[in-house]
Parts: sequence; structure tokens; C-alpha cells
Amino acid sequence: MTFPGVVALDDVSFSCEAGEVHALCGENGAGKSTLMKILGGVYQSDAGQILVEGQEVRFTHPLAARQHGISIIHQELSLLPDRSVAENIYLGREIARFGMLDHAAMNAGAERWLQRFGCRFGAGRLAGTLSIAEQQIVEIAKALNFDARILVMDEPTAALDDAEAERLLEFVRQLRAEGVAIVFISHRLRQVFAAADTVTVLKDGKLIATSRKSETTPDEIVRQMVGRELKDYYPAREGNGESAASALSIRDGGNDAIKDINLDLATGEIVAVAGLEGSAKGALARAIFGAQPLTRGTLQIRGTAVSIQTPRDAIRHGIGYVSDDRKGEGLALQQSVLENALLAARGIEPLFASTRSRRIRELRIDGALQNVEVRAASYGQPVGLLSGGNQQKTVLARWLALRPPILVCVEPTRGIDVAAKAAIYHLLRRYADEGRAVLVVTSDLPEAIGIADRLIVMREGRIVGEFPAGAAEEDIAALAAGHAAAPVE
Amino acid sequence: MSASIPALTAPRERPGSRISLVPLLIIAGSLVAYAIAALVTGQMAQLSLDGLIGVLQRTVALGIVALGQTLVILVRSIDLSVAPLVSVGAVMASWIMQGDPARMIGACLFVLALSACVGVLNGVIITRLMVNPLIATLGVGLVLQGILSASFANFAGSVPEEFQVFAYGTVGPLTFSIILMFALAVLAWLMLGHTRLGAHIYATGGNQEGARLAGIKTGRVTVIVHVLCSVAAGLTGLYLASRLRAGAPWVGRDGVYDLESIAAVVIGGTVLAGGRGGVWGTIAGVILFGCLDAIFTMSGVNAYIKQVLRGAIVVAAVAAYAYRTKGQVA
Repeated sequence: MTFPGVVALDDVSFSCEAGEVHALCGENGAGKSTLMKILGGVYQSDAGQILVEGQEVRFTHPLAARQHGISIIHQELSLLPDRSVAENIYLGREIARFGMLDHAAMNAGAERWLQRFGCRFGAGRLAGTLSIAEQQIVEIAKALNFDARILVMDEPTAALDDAEAERLLEFVRQLRAEGVAIVFISHRLRQVFAAADTVTVLKDGKLIATSRKSETTPDEIVRQMVGRELKDYYPAREGNGESAASALSIRDGGNDAIKDINLDLATGEIVAVAGLEGSAKGALARAIFGAQPLTRGTLQIRGTAVSIQTPRDAIRHGIGYVSDDRKGEGLALQQSVLENALLAARGIEPLFASTRSRRIRELRIDGALQNVEVRAASYGQPVGLLSGGNQQKTVLARWLALRPPILVCVEPTRGIDVAAKAAIYHLLRRYADEGRAVLVVTSDLPEAIGIADRLIVMREGRIVGEFPAGAAEEDIAALAAGHAAAPVE
Repeated sequence: MSASIPALTAPRERPGSRISLVPLLIIAGSLVAYAIAALVTGQMAQLSLDGLIGVLQRTVALGIVALGQTLVILVRSIDLSVAPLVSVGAVMASWIMQGDPARMIGACLFVLALSACVGVLNGVIITRLMVNPLIATLGVGLVLQGILSASFANFAGSVPEEFQVFAYGTVGPLTFSIILMFALAVLAWLMLGHTRLGAHIYATGGNQEGARLAGIKTGRVTVIVHVLCSVAAGLTGLYLASRLRAGAPWVGRDGVYDLESIAAVVIGGTVLAGGRGGVWGTIAGVILFGCLDAIFTMSGVNAYIKQVLRGAIVVAAVAAYAYRTKGQVA
């Protein structure tokens, strides 16, 4: 399988038994998603063969793969925003009686899935009104909702919090007991080791190793993925706190989604915002960036009260925003890497900027792209052809090149591999050390603890507590879930 | 968020039976404006049942075309070849019939089959050759119009008396053609809300890649929908031949069925981006246009002002929908 300029997969052999959970690990662009798309009939392979239950098969359309009992949970969400949850879950295999759709049966079936996942929304909700994590659950239900004999999950837990992820793993074990062959692609090694029987590592489109879980360790897997020892996963804190000045401060801020927000962000620090699904931690980021502006309270930047009503206001006041929805908000997939990286700069550039100043900007963007190590055949390549991690790095480069004094990142490492994560953590730390403020909103608690100088916990639209660096994961999780009181400071 | 509160608090709505009030509001508003115009100009006859049926009658041609256009726009395509195809249908019908009742059925079948072929052509150009639908159907439309204009200068042939029953025949107070339009609307509504094809139409328009990943043959759905749209246009050609007693190569162009059908669909709340909308909105849009025509005829105002108003209404409608949608998201 080749993409323009890049060989995505080279002579890879892979097998999964019935009743086995086989994890597939690898860095960005290692070829995991490509392998699965060939299996799912999305792409056709240039060479080699696919055997299902010993029979050679050829898939020219996703439908053909499904007829052989292969179901795939794709990493990128593919829901129809204007259709109900039930209609999405039954998409492509609607229940019909005498040619007429049986909406009641489909609703009841969908409702059963939602209950098994403990969802708090009904099957009649439009998929577009759900959060990304909720959409992910619908996506999973959609893939499970037919008797798949081979189930492929591409980063199924990327948008889920720990409790939801645990429920999903429970399902995986249940399906395994029923004799389903499961391919589980994940970057969360803890989940890989919780769920998998066998682990295969891909690197640069080649197969590195396949080993039983009992014969390997997480460190070994990481070594195989990266090809070297991964030291200093989280960057060290420099601790030059004495010269810190206020970068951003919110007093009694609120809007439809968030209430009573008091938040201070100083130069040189990384503050993480953690919270479960429904805590509105994303809404806080959107409020700061003016995408869902504050309607109450005051907002100060570097000690001056300002009003931020639109993202443009925010950019002008030196706030950068890395969205958690790369496909929907972050990137124009058909445009080149360079164009995408230039987008934010373009927005605030004077209409008739001189060619020279544009040239300088482009050079700076080029530098930023190299800095974050975006792997592409060239920066003129459409960004949609890159792997998820490289797309995320492109979004980051866009903002790093502008050097906003305040950078807000929402789920900056979702769906990307460990090496890219470590690279992004180091980039953010270096960025903060240069005297800027970084706010990271994340569902990944170890990540929040690992990179933050301070950690803020949100629940149901309010800030319910704050932890210093190095707090215990259990305490934070308990507070986020509402089982514990805020820590005494 | 303990495990004890998994209450389903979301409003319970039943998919497939989501009925929007917007079409009803549009129709009610149109009728009120129509009634006011009739009262102000003192043309009480327009308020009678016959007057209202007359208004409906004038919406039939646009209505049938717009129903087809609705389906096409729902899959995020568009069809600009409908106006020439209406002309082709009308001309071929009267040319083949030549006033002979024995040729009626053959002529109708030929026109519908020819229209279906045009639909397949549109669909295949769009899905196989990957030509943007706007360009594909514009091109096909130009070809059709060119061949037709080169072959026929004016009214060609004529339809027999018996065929005029299609346009003028009545059941009680209603004409066959009005009943046909509403019957087609009901069929399209059932198809969209209650069949697999309908679900796949919404899926293809809403998220083509997502639909493909769910195992839907999106190319086939697009072709089917273009065939349905083209057959609707051919049917409209038959209706016009019946109404005008003969077909001429300009009937489609004069009716501006391509752009007006798109306008009616959009006024009805079906979005050009695909995946959202339905037939009742389109019917409401068509009735709105019909009332507007009648109002201007009654008041005797310059017909060009009507164009201005129509344009303004289309833009205002889309802006209103966009505003509503934004409100829901925020």
C-alpha cells in the first residue's frame, strides 16, 4: 500500500485467532490504520492476500468486508450529525418490515446499547448534539451492533475517560469469550496490557515483533515502537517561578456552560484542566478563546481588562487555541501542510502585507514544522494524507510559529502515539519556559499530572479544586467524579 | 456521577417522524398574504375554492420538479439539467403522439425511459467520472437543450384530446395533476422516512465517507436519486404537453425550473450541504411561490418586482435557517 510519496505498509503479515484480543501498536504513521483500512475494504492493497477463516478474500468496498463478518470502529468519527443516535447505530443495516423501516425496533435496540454503556442520553438525540466522547460511544455501539466475527477497534478509547474506557474493555473481554477475534489498536499501553493477549508492533510500515502479553512488558513495547529507549517522557520543570507575571485572569466568569470561574494563569507555567465527560472543561477553553464567549464576569490579560467575543479578538490579544477536533475545526484536509500551518497567521495578517513579510512568516512556519517534526513527503502535501499524530503536530506548529503569549490546548495528544506525545510535551514545556502561559485541557489524567505545574479539576461547569504538581491520580479522579471534597490548600 | 443516576433525561423524540412546523408556517403565511391581497384588491372570486385550486394548479409543474430536486440535494448533489429535460419531455410527447390517442401510452413510456437514461447519465458522470454535480448537470442540460433547439424550432406535433385529461381532468374539486403532485410528495416522504433507501439518502448527503464505511453504496444511491429526479422532470414535461396541447423546446427554460426548483427546496429548509431536509418544506416553498405569483397577478404590479421579492425571500429563508441552526449548536 503506497500513498503519494510514502510507502505506508511493506510486507506485513498479521494474524488474529478467534477468541483472541490482538493489540496493534506503533508510532504515528507506522501503518496501523492503513493495515486496518485494507482489512476493512477502505483501501486496496497492492500486494499480498487476506484470509478469513482460511479462505482468501478480496474486498473492494467496506460492504464486502462486512459480509465476511469484519466490523471496524474507525478512529475518525463518521456519524451523521443530523440523524438520531438510533439511525446512526443502525446505519447500513436498518431493520425493515415489508420494506418499511421499523423505527420502534431500532430505537429499542439502540436504547439497549446505550444502557449497557450507562449513557445518559436517549436514542432519539441527534448525534450532532452529543459531545465527542458520547459520539465515540455511539460509534462503538454502531460497530458492535451486528454479529461481527472479527472486530477491529482503532483507538476506541481515545476520547473516553477512564470509567468509560473500563466499560469498553469489559465489553472486549465479553466478546472475546464469545469467540470474536478482536484487533485492538491503542496508544494507551495500560489498556493494551489490560485487554490484549498478543501484542504486535509496527514501525515505519514494517512488522517489528509479535509477542504474547506474558512474554513482554510495556517498556519493551515502547522500545520496539520507538526503536530506542524513551527517556524523559515528561519534561522536567525548570521552576523559574519567581519572575512569573499574570498572563490571564478570570473573575466570576460564566456562560451557558460554565459557572463561577475564577482562574489565574501566570507566565512560564503549564496549567492542566482535568474533568470527566460533562464537566465542561472544553467549554472553559472555548470561552477563553471566544468561541463560546463569557457572558458574565471579567477577563484580564496581562493585568488589563479585555472583552473577548470572537476567536479573532482572542488571537489579537495573543491567545492561541489548539482544538480537540482536528478534522472538524482544526484542519482543511485538502490543503497542504504549509497552508494549514499558515492559517492562523493569515487570519491576522494585514490584507496587503508585503511579500517580504509573508516570506518571513512562511520561513518561520517552515521552521516550526521542522521543529515539531511533522513527517510528510513535503510540506506541499495535503494534510489529510498524514497520520493523526502528524496532523496534530501541524495544528501545533500553526500556533507555535505565531508565538502567542497564551496557548490553550484541548486534548493535544489524543489519538497519537507515545513518541509524538513526548515530543509535544517537551514542546509545550519549552514554550512555557520561554515565558509564556500554557493551559492544557485533557481527559488523560496521567498526562495532566505529568506535564502540569498546577492541575485544576472541573465538575459540572465549575472549578471544584486545584492540585499542585505531582498530586496522586486517585485523589484527582475522586474529586472529578464528585466522591471527595476539594483538597485543603 | 455515581452509578445510580443513569436516568435518560433527554427529550424522547422518535426518529423518522420528526415533523417540523416550519412548512406549515410557510404555507399559512403564504395563504394569509394571498387572502389579504385578494381583499385589498377586491377580487373576492380568488378566495373561492376554485380560486385556491387555480393557485395550486399553477404550482404543479414546479412542484413535481422540485420534489425530484429535493432528493438530489439531500445527497449533496444538484441537478441543473431539469429545465431542458422538461422541454425534452414535452416536445417528445407531442411529437410522438401527433394527435393520435393510440400512441399515448407509448409516448409516455418513451419519455419516462428517456428521462431515466438522462438520470443515469447524470449520476454516472458525477459518481464515476467524479465531475462536480453542478458542472455535470449543467453540461448535460446544455447538450439536451442544444439537440432539442437544433431539431425543433417551435411547437412540435400535438397531443390528442384524451391526453389533456392528465392536466385538466378532475376528481371532485381537484384536478388529476394536483392529486398526482401530492401523491408523489407522500410517496417521497414515505420513502425518505420509512425505507432503507431514504435512510441511505440522508446518510450519503450527511457524511459520504461515513456512509461508505457503514457499507452503503453511496455511488448507487446518488445514481438512483438522479434517476428519480430526472423522471420527475420528464413527468413534468408530459404534464406541460398535456396542459399546452403541444410541447415546445422553450417550455422548460421559460419556467426556469432549474433555479426555481432549487430555490423552492432551499426555502423549504433542505440544506445544500446535504443530509438535512424533507419534502414538505419543498411543497411549502412551491406553494409560497404560487401564492406570490397570484398576488402579483391580482395587484397588477410589474412582474420584475416579483423577481426581486422572490430573490429576497430565498436569501432571507436561508439566513433564517442558518441562524436557527447556530442557535441549536450553541
